[in-house]
Amino acid sequence: MGACMDMGKRGCDGMLQINHLYKSYGKFQAVSNLTLHIPKGDLFGFVGPNGAGKTTTIRMVCGLMLPNSGDIFINGIDAMAHQKEIKKQIGYVPDFFGVYDNLKVREYMDFYGSMYRMNSREIQRISDDLLELVNLSDKKEVFVDTLSRGMKQRLCVARALIHNPALLVLDEPNSGLDPRARVEMKELLQNLRSMGKTIVISSHILSELSEMCNSIGIMNHGSLVAAGRIEDVMEGVFGNNQLVITLDEGRETAIRIVNEYTKVEVDSVGEHEIKLSHNMTKTEIAQMVGAMIAGGVVVTGFHKQEGDLETLFMRVTGDGQ
Amino acid sequence: MYLNPIVKKDVKVQARSMKICWGVFAYELILALVFFLAMSIIQGESRYSTSNVYSAMVWLYPVLAVTQLIILGLVVPVRTASAISGEKERQTFDIMMTTGMSPFSVIMGKVMTAIVQGMFFVVASMPVMALSFIIGGMSWAYLFLFLGIAFLVSLFAASIGILCSSLCKKSISAVIMSYVFYLLFFLGTAVPLIIYWIVVANLEYSLGTVPQFVESYGANIYLFTLLNPAVYLAEFFAGIMAGRSVVSSMVSSMGTQNKGPIVLLTTGYWWLIFATILFVGVSFLFLWIASKRINPIKGQRRKGGRR
Repeated sequence: MGACMDMGKRGCDGMLQINHLYKSYGKFQAVSNLTLHIPKGDLFGFVGPNGAGKTTTIRMVCGLMLPNSGDIFINGIDAMAHQKEIKKQIGYVPDFFGVYDNLKVREYMDFYGSMYRMNSREIQRISDDLLELVNLSDKKEVFVDTLSRGMKQRLCVARALIHNPALLVLDEPNSGLDPRARVEMKELLQNLRSMGKTIVISSHILSELSEMCNSIGIMNHGSLVAAGRIEDVMEGVFGNNQLVITLDEGRETAIRIVNEYTKVEVDSVGEHEIKLSHNMTKTEIAQMVGAMIAGGVVVTGFHKQEGDLETLFMRVTGDGQ
Repeated sequence: MYLNPIVKKDVKVQARSMKICWGVFAYELILALVFFLAMSIIQGESRYSTSNVYSAMVWLYPVLAVTQLIILGLVVPVRTASAISGEKERQTFDIMMTTGMSPFSVIMGKVMTAIVQGMFFVVASMPVMALSFIIGGMSWAYLFLFLGIAFLVSLFAASIGILCSSLCKKSISAVIMSYVFYLLFFLGTAVPLIIYWIVVANLEYSLGTVPQFVESYGANIYLFTLLNPAVYLAEFFAGIMAGRSVVSSMVSSMGTQNKGPIVLLTTGYWWLIFATILFVGVSFLFLWIASKRINPIKGQRRKGGRR
């Protein structure tokens, strides 16, 4: 079960449940009636243009900002009422963050571990594991401010996991990273998901989100315009019944044959391509294509129209759509 | 024993920088200069008097102590004023607020760091201070009393700094605001007394006498100076060096009947005890306000209702 816009009420079996969330800055409505449900174990991609309200939502979820109204439940706990408890449930990686000068990687982990009142033996054990996970085991005695941007980002993820939170929230973790660091970050997040962590990640890099996330939420002008499993959202927006037939000759014949079928209509016609919307079974499609070939049309191929996240994003965030 | 992680981290980080070395060097240099200046004055005075130069050296104690307290009073708020705004400028503040530490623990961590560093300077200067005890023949208890006063000054100065740090976005604004707060305590608490003197002088000039109520309770106007750091230090050192109370002398010089709380407070050490409690109370009030200010949730009010 993937994320959805309005699934269930308080206490439902999910990691993050947001109900009718509103936040405004003066007259500007940053978040408007946001309702979202993210089940446990999801890697949820939060996308939207600049100023859509993603960071505001993330900051409210992490207890860094108070909403004007609405509820946030994390792992079934009311985030507004139990701030102290919520802090144990969340690991937060902000979009921009600094590190302390003159502090070594091991001490950095030790510092944040002790902020959760963990004992030094426990911190050492967990931070060793986490540093290995983020591939920084050999940097324990290195000063944090000398690490590369990618390493700092991975260290920040390790830091956010020191207290074993149920929910990891990352705001634009890939911004400013080089391609190698992005790949490493993607692998790290996929590893964490396979370990059962629920992860919320906001990003502008849609191709990466589509590769690693299993569910997405698209925000625009403070509202959630689409959310759920990527396949479901794609199907909801593009439909599951678009067919592209490529051909070399006999375009007019092909169109005539298509028009003979009542369950199909032509969307667009290109020089060597016809796009169709249909409501046919696979057998019916095969029969139609067979009829084209029999009628002298040189069919070079046919395939289901696949939507991508970029197209989806552009469509759902486009003005007037 | 649980040690505030911020104290542990900040002390470690700052100990690794050269700033701390230069800080101790500057602190000791100032003290050494004051020491030699005071010594030369004491020796110069002893040439023209019959007093023993060694007994006169006890005056090194208030001179060095006040010098140190002034340095602490000036340096500690600078450290705390940049504590919260510095975390914000460094972009580490948000992460800190999502951890398991409460805003008050964060504030206390920053304040304790500044106090520890201040006390580090004070302890480093102990050999110089000890000269006035060894040669001047003062009781060692006063050395520990000085440590107590240094701690109080550091706490008070740190609380002003951290409050300003929570109010300002930029460190430099917080530092300036801290010194404005100082002025309020040094001069603001003396304003009622000045107004009182002017009013009494005018009454005496125009009526030839002072009303009975003012005559009886007028000296209580001195209670405002309970929160004046200068009066506090004057009372402390006058008590140690001369065994007298500055406030008591000033109140007596008013020639009033003196009724009300001022009577109790000018008896024995009550002024110092009560003022100490007040300074500690005000410091914790500032710390509490600062912790409320930095709390991203409690510091804001929900606007509008559920839509």
